[in-house]
Amino acid sequence: MSDLITLTIDGVEVSVAKGTRIADAAKRIGNDIPVFCHHPKLEPVGMCRMCLVEVGLPVRDRATGALLTNADGSPQLNFGRGLQTACTIQVSEGMVVRTATEPVLEARKSVIEFLLTSHPLDCPICDKGGECPLQNLTMAHGVGQSRMHFGDKLKLDKHVPLGDLIYLDRERCIQCARCIRFQEEVVDDPVIRFHNRGRSLEIVTLSDPGFDSVWSGNTTDICPVGALTTADFRFGARPWELTPVASICPHCPVGCNTTMSTRREAMANGRTVIKRIMPRQNEAVNEIWICDKGRFVHHFADHANRLTQPLIRQNGKLVETSWGEALDFVAGKLQIDAHMVAGLAGARLSNEDLFAFQRLFRDGLKSQNIDLAKRRLAGGDVAAQVGLSSGSNLKDLGKGDAILVVASDLHDEAPVWWLRVKQAAERGATLVVANARATRLDAFAAFSLHYEAGQALATVNQLVSMAKVETDTAVTNDIVSAAEALFKAENLVIFYGSEGLAYDETDALAKLLGNLLLIENGHKHAGRVNNGLVPVWPHNNTQGAWDMGVHPAYAPGYKPVKEAGLDATAVYAAVANGDLKALYIAGADPVGDGLMPDRGKLDFLVVQELFLTDTAVLADVVLPAQSWAEREGTFTTGERRVQRYYPAIPVVGQSRPDWQILAQIGERVGLGKPAFAASLTFKDVARIVPQYKGMDYRTLAQVEKQWPDVGGEDLYYGGNAYENRSGLGQQWPVTAEKSAVAHFDVPTVKTGRKDGLQMMWTAVLYAPGTLVDCSDVIAPRKAQPVAALHGTDAARLAVADGDWVEVMVNGTAVQVTVRVDDRAPVGLVLVAGVPWWPGTAVADLKKIVAAALAVN
Amino acid sequence: MANLLLRHRDIPDLHKIDVYRKHGGYEALHKAITEMTPQGVIDVVRSSGLRGRGGAGFPTGVKWSFIPKGPGEKYVVINTDESETGTFKDRELSEKNPHQVIEGAIIAAYSIGAKTIYNYFRGEFMDAGYAMEEAIREAYAAGFLGKNILGSDFSCDFYCHYGAGAYICGEETALINSLQGELGQPWSKPPFPAVEGLYRRPTVVNNTETLANVPLILVNGADWYMSLGTDKSPGVKIVCMSGHVEKPGNYEVELGVTYRELLAMAGGMRDGKKFKALLPSGGSGPVITEKALDAPLTYEGLTPHGSVMGSASVIVMDETTDMVWAALKMLHFFKHESCGKCTPCREGTFWMEKLLHRIYEGHGTPQDVQTLESVANQIGGRTLCALGDFAINPVLSTIKHFPEEYRAKVQGSANGQVKAAARTAVA
Amino acid sequence: MFGMIAELAKGMGITLKHFFQPPVTTQYPEVKRPVRNRFKGRHELKRYDNGLERCIGCSLCAAACPADAIFVEAAENTDDERYSPGERFARVYEINMLRCIFCGYCEDACPTQAIVLEHNYELSFYDRQSAIYTKDMLIVDVPVNGRPTPQVVEPGVFTKAIPMMENPE
Repeated sequence: MSDLITLTIDGVEVSVAKGTRIADAAKRIGNDIPVFCHHPKLEPVGMCRMCLVEVGLPVRDRATGALLTNADGSPQLNFGRGLQTACTIQVSEGMVVRTATEPVLEARKSVIEFLLTSHPLDCPICDKGGECPLQNLTMAHGVGQSRMHFGDKLKLDKHVPLGDLIYLDRERCIQCARCIRFQEEVVDDPVIRFHNRGRSLEIVTLSDPGFDSVWSGNTTDICPVGALTTADFRFGARPWELTPVASICPHCPVGCNTTMSTRREAMANGRTVIKRIMPRQNEAVNEIWICDKGRFVHHFADHANRLTQPLIRQNGKLVETSWGEALDFVAGKLQIDAHMVAGLAGARLSNEDLFAFQRLFRDGLKSQNIDLAKRRLAGGDVAAQVGLSSGSNLKDLGKGDAILVVASDLHDEAPVWWLRVKQAAERGATLVVANARATRLDAFAAFSLHYEAGQALATVNQLVSMAKVETDTAVTNDIVSAAEALFKAENLVIFYGSEGLAYDETDALAKLLGNLLLIENGHKHAGRVNNGLVPVWPHNNTQGAWDMGVHPAYAPGYKPVKEAGLDATAVYAAVANGDLKALYIAGADPVGDGLMPDRGKLDFLVVQELFLTDTAVLADVVLPAQSWAEREGTFTTGERRVQRYYPAIPVVGQSRPDWQILAQIGERVGLGKPAFAASLTFKDVARIVPQYKGMDYRTLAQVEKQWPDVGGEDLYYGGNAYENRSGLGQQWPVTAEKSAVAHFDVPTVKTGRKDGLQMMWTAVLYAPGTLVDCSDVIAPRKAQPVAALHGTDAARLAVADGDWVEVMVNGTAVQVTVRVDDRAPVGLVLVAGVPWWPGTAVADLKKIVAAALAVN
Repeated sequence: MANLLLRHRDIPDLHKIDVYRKHGGYEALHKAITEMTPQGVIDVVRSSGLRGRGGAGFPTGVKWSFIPKGPGEKYVVINTDESETGTFKDRELSEKNPHQVIEGAIIAAYSIGAKTIYNYFRGEFMDAGYAMEEAIREAYAAGFLGKNILGSDFSCDFYCHYGAGAYICGEETALINSLQGELGQPWSKPPFPAVEGLYRRPTVVNNTETLANVPLILVNGADWYMSLGTDKSPGVKIVCMSGHVEKPGNYEVELGVTYRELLAMAGGMRDGKKFKALLPSGGSGPVITEKALDAPLTYEGLTPHGSVMGSASVIVMDETTDMVWAALKMLHFFKHESCGKCTPCREGTFWMEKLLHRIYEGHGTPQDVQTLESVANQIGGRTLCALGDFAINPVLSTIKHFPEEYRAKVQGSANGQVKAAARTAVA
Repeated sequence: MFGMIAELAKGMGITLKHFFQPPVTTQYPEVKRPVRNRFKGRHELKRYDNGLERCIGCSLCAAACPADAIFVEAAENTDDERYSPGERFARVYEINMLRCIFCGYCEDACPTQAIVLEHNYELSFYDRQSAIYTKDMLIVDVPVNGRPTPQVVEPGVFTKAIPMMENPE
């Protein structure tokens, strides 16, 4: 290991990688050099001056370059002229650092004194009080008294909204620029900056709306004082009153590790409620960051509209009933001809729920008619064979590696993946982005392939066939160069989504990309660490749904069934024409999502939900389920990491966990006694699903030491994200890791696309829906229905920016605002903030005149 | 001796290119490009002993030699952000003798292989800037700038940029940040600009006056330049005389003259008053008293007296000057100009001004003077750039040389303590 | 041995003396026995002269309480609806008198001298629920020249939660 450098810090020898800064090297051996502006995930600036240390360098003879020694044989050291910042100086061989000498301690004392001269010292009312780096370091290094006259203190604004979500207290700010640097260096949203100079230096926002970034909450975690606070938690509780509960973010397939801070509240009638959500460190998943959706969209869990009791339809009305009655009734109604009953599940449910769901149908009702309610992205079977190999970490990708992102806008679909892909590209990985439109990832891509709507498969096909052979054709275009880059890459990770694609197209796409990973180039990509396919699933546990066999053609563990059942599309058709008699929907709202217009000719509809959704109001029986915050369970991320979450708040009303409801119905149709706990259901999962073999709640809860340290005693170093003490999860190995995988047969897909101006659904992070609607704090950021189109198209259709138009979404007319935006491709209208539909559709925009709008 | 840098005082209309050329202008550039290698130019400048005239005194040739050889964009940046109190030499040079600066800059660019020169003007220097921009147009027209200068394959462009009024932008890294359109804040070195400067490329930042010396050196040779001034500080220097002297203004002298001679040159003390003290380097150097007047004007001359030559902007103060007032004035300047990036400078200067203001107003206590000194020492040597060290110089040196004036202020109000307490209550 | 008997006789002597004294019975509740100045009785939440509440909802009393008797929930002040100076006030303030041990730590912890253990010792309840004293019960009456909270105030006047800190000398 030639790139290791050995230095001595306070007499302790340490060897660290070249380029490490002294402060980080010291941290490795438990020597806590105090810092404010330095953060291990940011570039050093050396501006707070808290980390001043004495740095001695070995003296060399000028002529010979030989090391000079003292009389006693020890190397001669030159300690320079003064103190130096440990956060900016890179280590060098033979360096000697002293961190506990008189001048160093004196310097720390004086920096603390300086910082406190302009600090308001209003710790009693500060949200950071109790978990504040400045407070801690003052206790450790500060003097008890200030020599500054209190009257000399500067008085500044204490309530400055930087945006809807983040407030700035100018008096508390110590100008360390961590927030500014985070926004600029880490997430490339430079929307806050310094303004003015000297003691008037202040943080301002440059964007409209203010602090327009989906990462803004993270700045409050790394702020070393209470200058930045979130609108959600402001004055919510003192940190020491909070109970931390480990959880997993339920919003997207990244599966960020989070910690819910809970507390009993008088305002909630003595119930324990979630006060805030903070990131929990998992360097293989989300490091120490989470997006604002994960942080602020949690209020649905203890919302007043939650269902609290089973409901049953009597005389056309839903009335409250007991569990026993409801379950008996449901069990009775479902035991009909197995072909006449079907089940649709939502991909927000846990693995235990989904397993119990398929068990009820396959083993209990002998029906194969089960599927996810929203068929958006296929390829779980492909990912099971050539998915991202276990042990992979996007953080390890860099120079020589390549990442391909197809038909997905990671920034809004899976923000933390966007962040990690972007950082890999910045480290030198070749990023190839293929999409019908420009996305934010293009800025970091070596190649951005923008295909015409409907040409996704053709483009990827071309890419894959080019990558097979070393081309030396005269034609060099982006596709050729991109293919070459992918072919040459040491490691290759592929993300693919469903933007503008029908379900069958995504299936073909997954197989095409699977074949790309199977191409031999000295080494195959599939099966090696840091290689493989990652589906950008529409929900947090779509991966788990595939694994658990919530699929008409696959039993748990991707075992093909003899005779495939009806898929969701077929189910909706059968509902309409009367081929189905009974339908069970768990954790999904097909009516609200525009996938199912009404209950059709169903005899019996049962819905298991958190809220009385559009589907639930049509049901014969509504069963109240528990949200993820009230119970334990596991989710599987798009990288196939099985992660465990824990119960944080008490049960709402009489609601029950989904797996329990399903098992209790199962008991009534002859499946035996239900399991007592989610952990026991998971034991069944591990027994039956081969991929989950060897996992149990104990192994999922295992942790190991992670770098950098966060959340512990040294809050000032890594910030306030929580240390992971509750489990890093387990990534299950794909087939290719163990045995050879044959090439996939790529089906030919008939799209049936009609000519004309096309429109495509695009994902937005704060899409309106039950979950987002429950969080008032995020309301100003909620996506509005918008159709973005190119200036040429707008001119042709004679619509202008801000006009209202009507578009048909899944057969329903939806009103959207027009945004003329030349980033939209010509001939393709990008519609956001409306229910999803598959593929593209012919854009039939009807302009709504002001008079008609007024009537509405 | 005739002026070498302030030649326009002897030659009318020197700012016009034909007049300048008539008097030997652009011969040095011609010589450099046609007869010398870039390394040759660096060697001559290095052996001439020319040191930075902006105040820090770093050997110019050595600075140039730090620029890595090889391909890739490099930059020459001229520092005309002359914001030091009492300094006005670069302004006169840029306005009246711009071609000599331009020529020096082109030679610098040639020697390090830069294709672009930026001149960073202090925002208020509109007249000087426009004069130089006119000179640049003339130089382009004459073929000294632009593509293939003097028929060689060396091409160079020259741009002027005006700051927005910040003292800190005279610091080279802050200047580079400002030039890039960012907040004018210095960065913690390393990386040095010679390695990672403007747009993260190797960059040489030179003072205007330094570059004006370069054509002279190339034409007359390093030995000639070495013969001027003293052994350790060779060459000529423009001294900005201001304050209580009869004839304030720029004076070009050979390094090594004494401060007493400088005073005489400026016509002695105004109105025949008695000399009290002088600031040898604008606001940023410690004051010197009568005792140090016979020290030579060299980079090392004032070291025994605890001060520095700096940019040689001499502010003279006579017996009527209240030294506490003077210190407060300087401190106010530095507090106002502190960029706020690092803690000791941002918080310390703010606090010190409050303390010193209270002392000056007669509300201070002896304890306040002690605190002032202690706070100053907490800033010294711990800041990111030199501004923090500059800020404490006038205060510490006046406390050292004129303790009795501070004593008088705090004893002038025997009930200082009571008044201070009253202030707190009112606030 | 002799000494022991002498001591015993001395003690019995005092008993004998009191035996012949008239009994002292305070006719509580008609007659109330005065308490010492430093007596620690039921808590009161104080106000400033202008009527604003001293309590800023910082929860430090709850943190200091060894019996976990205090519960505080804070909220943000606005100038249109101001309860206390600064940004934060106690939206909910409860003390469980069954738990309280009257140690006075809450008084010590309070940065604004809002909570004071006063001289009322008449604490009896018929059920556990009524042992929980809410903010309405604990807060003192509005002073003569003050206004009740919430107040509508001029913006920018009451910006400091801890209004005046003396210069530490």
